Order: sequence, then C-alpha cells, then structure tokens
Amino acid sequence: MSPDVLAGIAQASGFLVLLTTALGVFIGLTVGMIPGMTISTGIIILLPVTFVLPADISIALLLGLYVGGMTGGSFSAVLLNIPGTPSASATALDGYPMSARGEAGRALGIAITASFIGGMVSFLCLLFIAPLLADVALSFRTEDMFALVFFGITIICSFAAQSLVKGLLSGVIGLAIVTIGQDPVMGSQRFTFGQVNLIGGIHFLTAMIGLFAIPQLVSNLADTTSAARIQTKLKSVLPRLADLRAIRMPITIGSLTGAFLGILPGAGGPIAAFISYDYTRRISKRREDFGKGAVEGVAAPESANNAVTGGALIPMMTLGIPGDPVTAILIGALIIHGLAPGPLMFTERGDFAFGLIFSFFWANIFNFIIALTALRVLVKLLATPRALLMPTVAVLCVIGAFALRNNFFDVYVMLFFGLVGLAMRWLDMPVVPLLLALVLGVPLEENLRVALTSSQGDISIFFSSPISVAFLSLSALSIIWSLRAARRRRMSAQSSSKESSS
Amino acid sequence: MNKLRTVMVGAAALGLAAAATPALAFPDGPIEFVIPFGAGGGADIEGRLLAKEMSAVLGVPVTPVNRPGGGGAVTYTYIKNSKPDGHTVAWNSSSVLTTTNLGNTDFAYDAMDHVGRVEFQPQPFVVKADAKWNNFAEFVAACKAAPSTLKVANSGTGSATHTAAIQLMDAAGCKVVHLPKGIKGRNKSVLNGEADAMIAPLTGAVNLTNAGKLKILLMPTAERSTVFPDVPTAKEAGYDVSFDLFRGLSVAPNTPDDVKSKLADAMAKAANSPEFLKLAKTKGFTVAPLGHEDFEVLLAEENAKVKEIFASAGLLKTQ
Repeated sequence: MSPDVLAGIAQASGFLVLLTTALGVFIGLTVGMIPGMTISTGIIILLPVTFVLPADISIALLLGLYVGGMTGGSFSAVLLNIPGTPSASATALDGYPMSARGEAGRALGIAITASFIGGMVSFLCLLFIAPLLADVALSFRTEDMFALVFFGITIICSFAAQSLVKGLLSGVIGLAIVTIGQDPVMGSQRFTFGQVNLIGGIHFLTAMIGLFAIPQLVSNLADTTSAARIQTKLKSVLPRLADLRAIRMPITIGSLTGAFLGILPGAGGPIAAFISYDYTRRISKRREDFGKGAVEGVAAPESANNAVTGGALIPMMTLGIPGDPVTAILIGALIIHGLAPGPLMFTERGDFAFGLIFSFFWANIFNFIIALTALRVLVKLLATPRALLMPTVAVLCVIGAFALRNNFFDVYVMLFFGLVGLAMRWLDMPVVPLLLALVLGVPLEENLRVALTSSQGDISIFFSSPISVAFLSLSALSIIWSLRAARRRRMSAQSSSKESSS
Repeated sequence: MNKLRTVMVGAAALGLAAAATPALAFPDGPIEFVIPFGAGGGADIEGRLLAKEMSAVLGVPVTPVNRPGGGGAVTYTYIKNSKPDGHTVAWNSSSVLTTTNLGNTDFAYDAMDHVGRVEFQPQPFVVKADAKWNNFAEFVAACKAAPSTLKVANSGTGSATHTAAIQLMDAAGCKVVHLPKGIKGRNKSVLNGEADAMIAPLTGAVNLTNAGKLKILLMPTAERSTVFPDVPTAKEAGYDVSFDLFRGLSVAPNTPDDVKSKLADAMAKAANSPEFLKLAKTKGFTVAPLGHEDFEVLLAEENAKVKEIFASAGLLKTQ
C-alpha cells in the first residue's frame, strides 16, 4: 500500500474526523427525510461552517451529509409516501404500500441495507478503478449524453402500463413544462410571460414537492378513519434471510446502474433509481407485485441512489468535473481550503485525496448504523396524531419550496403542481412519467440541441458514435419490450374477464 | 398659534432627524448579500467569503442569500426593487451587463446603483494540451482554412465566456461554431475533443492547465496575467479586444451616496483581507477594488462592448 493510502486512512479515522462524519450522516438523514429539504440545501446550510473548520473535518462533514441524505430521503417516502429527495421517489412506489400494510420497519430495513451495499460498491469503484471510470465518463460526448437520457426517458412506457394514453400524456405534459424558461441554445425566453422568475424554468424539485406531497396531504384530510392506526411495533429491523435472498439481484442491478450513472455528469440519482427499479421489475418473475409493496422495488432504487454518491465523486476527484449538483458544491468547498479536486489532487495531495475516499467509506458505515438505530424512533412518527403530523409536513413543503432558490414565487409553483397532482390522481393518471419528464427533459433538450449545433443540423451525429448508437438501440428495445408486455397483460386481463363473465 | 408653530417646528425637526438617521446610523441592521447564482459555484464561494469579511468590518451580520435564475436576472430585479438603504446588496458580475442586454430584465444595468468592483479575471482562450496549435495565430490559420468547422465551447449562450468568444473570433475574422456547453460541460468538451477550444474564466482553467491537460493560447485582457505571465494578451497578438469577468457590488437605485461610500469602504477592506487574498491566489483571480465612480466608467465601457458584440451575434434585446 502506498504511503498516501495509509495517510488517507489515518486522516479519515482520527477521532474528531470520525465524529464529524457521524454528525454529517445524522444531519443528512434529517434533511433528507424532511420533504423539500434536499442534500444540496443541507450542504448550503453547512457550507459557511466549513469555512472555519480544517479541510479534513469539513469534507468529512459534507460527505457524511451527502451519504446520509440519500438514505434519509427514503424514510419519508416509505413512511408518508412523500419522497424526501428526488432520488427517493422510486422508493415510494413500493415502500409506501409496504408501510401501509404495517411493514414500515421491514421496508426501511431493506432500504438501509440496500443503501449500504450500494454505497460500498461505489466506494470500491472509487478506490480501485476511479481513473478507468473517469476515462469512460470523459468519453461521453453530447450526442452520447442525449442517447443516454433518451434511453432513460423510455422507461416512461413502463409506467404507462395501465393506460398508454394517460401515461404518455403525463410524460408529454412534463416535457412541455420544461420548455418554460431560457432557450438553451438561443438564449431567448420561452413561455415566461414577462415573469422574471420563470426565466430560470420550473425547478423539478419544486414540482416534485407539489406533485407528491399535496395530494398525499389532501387524501389524509379526506381519510377520517384515523382509528385504523398503522401498527408501528417492530420485530426486527434487520432484513430477514428470505428478504436478503430476494434482493440480491435488485441490489446488484441498482449498485452497478447507480455507480455508472453517477460518473456521468448530468444523469444523477433520480434517473439511476428509476432505471434500476424499472429493470428489476422487468426481469422479475413477480412483476405484478411491484407497486403493491415488493421488497425488490425498495432495494433496487435505494442501492442505486447511494451508489450514485461514490460514482459522482469519481469525475470530481480525478478530473475536477462534478458528477451531480452536490459534488459541484463539494468542489467549491474544497477550493476554499486551497484544495482543488482534479488530476493534480492525487499527485500533489494524495494523502488528502485518499483521506476523502476513506471518509466516504466511514460515512457509509455510520449511515448504516445510525439509520438502523434511528429507524425504531422514526417509525413511531406514524403514530403521531395526523392533526399534528400533516400540518407540519405542509409547513415543511412551503419552506422547502422557498429554500431551494430563496424565492417565494417557487411556493406558488409548488402549490400549482399540488393542484396538478390532485387532478392527476382524480383522473387516475400516473405521476411518475411527469416527474421523469421534468427531471430528464432539460438534459434531453440541451444535449439534443447542442449536439445538433455542433453538427450544424446533421442528425447523423447520433448514429456515428458507437455509444450513442448503443443507447438508441437499447431505447428501441426498451419501448418494444414495454409495449409487448402491456399488450400481453391486456390480453390476459381480457381472457380472464371473459372467463369470469361466462 | 404659538403652540401650532412649536408642533410644526418640532415635526419638521423630527422629519429632518428621521431623514438623516439612516445615513448616520448605517449599517443599523443585518445586510442581505444576494448572490445571483447557485451554491458552490465561483460566484458563491467568493461572495460568501467577501460577505464574511465585510461583516467583520461593518460589525453587523452580512448574510449571503442565493437567488439564482435567468443568468442573474432574478437577483438584479430583486435589487432594483429593494429599499435604497444599503441593507440589500447584490454580488454582481459581468452578468449585470450580459443578462440585461439579452433582454432577461426589462431594465438596463444603470437602473441600479453600483458600489464598486472587487475583483476581475481574464477569460483565456484554451485548447487541449496536445492540440496541434501552439499559438493563437496557428488556430486562426486553421480556422480560416476551414471556416465554420472548428468548435469553441462556452458556459452558455449570452454568458460572459460566450461574449468574449464572439468578440475574439470576430476580431480574428474566424468563423467558428459556438457551443453552449454550460459551466459543467465546458471543460469536459475540450478534454474529450468535442470542442476544439473554449473560452473559460481563468479560475475555471487554472487547475487543468497546471495539470498539463489544457494549454492557454491567449488572454483577451489588458495586461498579462500574473498567474500565467508567459501567455500573450490579445493585443500583443494583434487583436485589440478584451473582456474580463468582473465581480462587485450593486444596490437599489437612489441609495444615498454616503451609504454607498461606507459600503465601498467596507468592500475594499474585505477584499484586501488576508483570507480573501489567499482565496484569490488559490483560484487565480485578481483583487482590484474600484470605487463607485471608477466602476461606473468601467461599466459604461463594458456595456458598450456587450451591446456591440451581442448586436453582431443577433443576441441584443434593447430595453
């Protein structure tokens, strides 16, 4: 082992550094859990504090928050059906049904275990094959990014299984919404109606808070049978052996998808979570259980979003290029301490670079321990009288929407999306396609337009790069697969209804 | 009658006192330090440190608040409509000229008052380290030999880097494709060969240049950079152009002059604090505080440049 690695282990394992890592994880779990508070918000709050702390302690605190936040988001997704962070939206799909039938502890135990494994897989990638993966990340050109994002958006078809029309409509509404704001190539304004706050576009987080939280709050209001309180006693928080066996495959898919998408700037957590959820469902023998509380449906996205963290650190550490918004902020925080992430970091300050990597390792360990310990307390949250819990969540949604850009306009936007969410629930229209379109619409358009600017309008650019061709082919397969699966299901539904009627 | 006069005199005296108080007592409360861009970026990190140092000078909290959106338009609109008492300041940048001329606001930069400049940095013309061009003239020759094929990346349409890129390419008579790759994608696109060159703020190119991954061919700025003294300026290469990225402070219109000078004083002291100078050295920007009047002159000059450059590129929207 090189002296830098040993120095790194020593730096990350000092008492104070360990303590701040644990503190960071705790703060991360808390902000991640609160709807509307994101990891970015948490880091922004802590950033000024890190100005005065030593570099090793600062980075340990921030990394702890990053890792904890990814897991914390799943808590509110499972317990309240309101994802705390965008990366946890996929977790709500099966996590909430589990908690609704009294298995909140089981769902969270699986989420935490999956997060831990995902985080550790990405830690190993970061430690051993970072330079290799950095080269892969670098080789993705604009047209390849377009193809990748396009592939991501094809999973809308899977979520449109109930009704293709409603699902696609939901996706198209999302794509229409992302056209609001500044044109990415021309710089001109679109659909802003002279409103300066719309130039920056609709932030998908603002929309997400409204789409998920408001309908959930309203349905809680309407549901007066609060006597049917959910059982909150826990037998065991550690997953059962049978569960562990069931989630082997989902975690493998999730961890690898997450680590890979993490290294690509602009892809990030939500898309990794949805892609791994979707593909776990597709290859599962018990497809029909997904969405009704399948353990696999919790494990896949949770391992994916935590694997993204280590993945996103790879281009940051090796190239100085951020993999996601959080690592962009981390770069800024490191610069304050005179440490510039990039190719020189490993040669000039190898000890610190490895210290960072091992702080990330400890953050994952602490995340596992603290989350499992906190779980018993958190599940009691469900026992809180609704009259207290729901107004608190409502207030947090308003704060979250405001805090994102310190702009009250975003609160109105959030409330507007709350109405959209209610209307969609009433029309029985799936929300996931809309959310996916909001998350992926911006990179989809940007990469398409910039690639076409680069080729001066020649669309053959998308067919001249092997990566792009590969992802476009995968997209075609993905669509065909979803449509055939949907047709088969309709046919079997028809034949079974015939049988019952005869 | 007498009574009435006493009351009136008293009221007038009170009114005078009230009018004089804010100026005398400035700052009489916390100052909101508005950063027009998101957390973690260059503007944010530098702004937060300056705010911290200004707070030490003024003895009141100077609280950084990010209000991103529209390339600064959200912040500048907020500042323009804020109370002219100096307790709301914007951490401006060249964006105060670009976003306004792009038509993102319905007012020009002079609808606000400006306190002064804190720092600036050149925006170098950068290629990959193993590119075949060793100086700017070779790039220009290559570009003239095959017009509209070479690609120059920037941080976004209408950004300061785009402005500098249009200016330099026009002056050199080069027809290139400008790629708005965004702040996160700009460096990557040069490293993977997608773009042949880029204009980047110096702070965004320092590390990769020192690491031997990028090389700087030219600095479209007035004087040679202290960070890379071997790189010629555009003027030395025969092109009389320059467009630096500056940062400074702006306040609401009609802010009293003595409030502005107190702010400018605190700003200059904060800029010359050891902490801020250390950050400047690490990142590669130049601390060069300018007072209110000099800054106004600079703004007027630069605004004329932006207008001309945007007009040539069809980006100009007049207010």
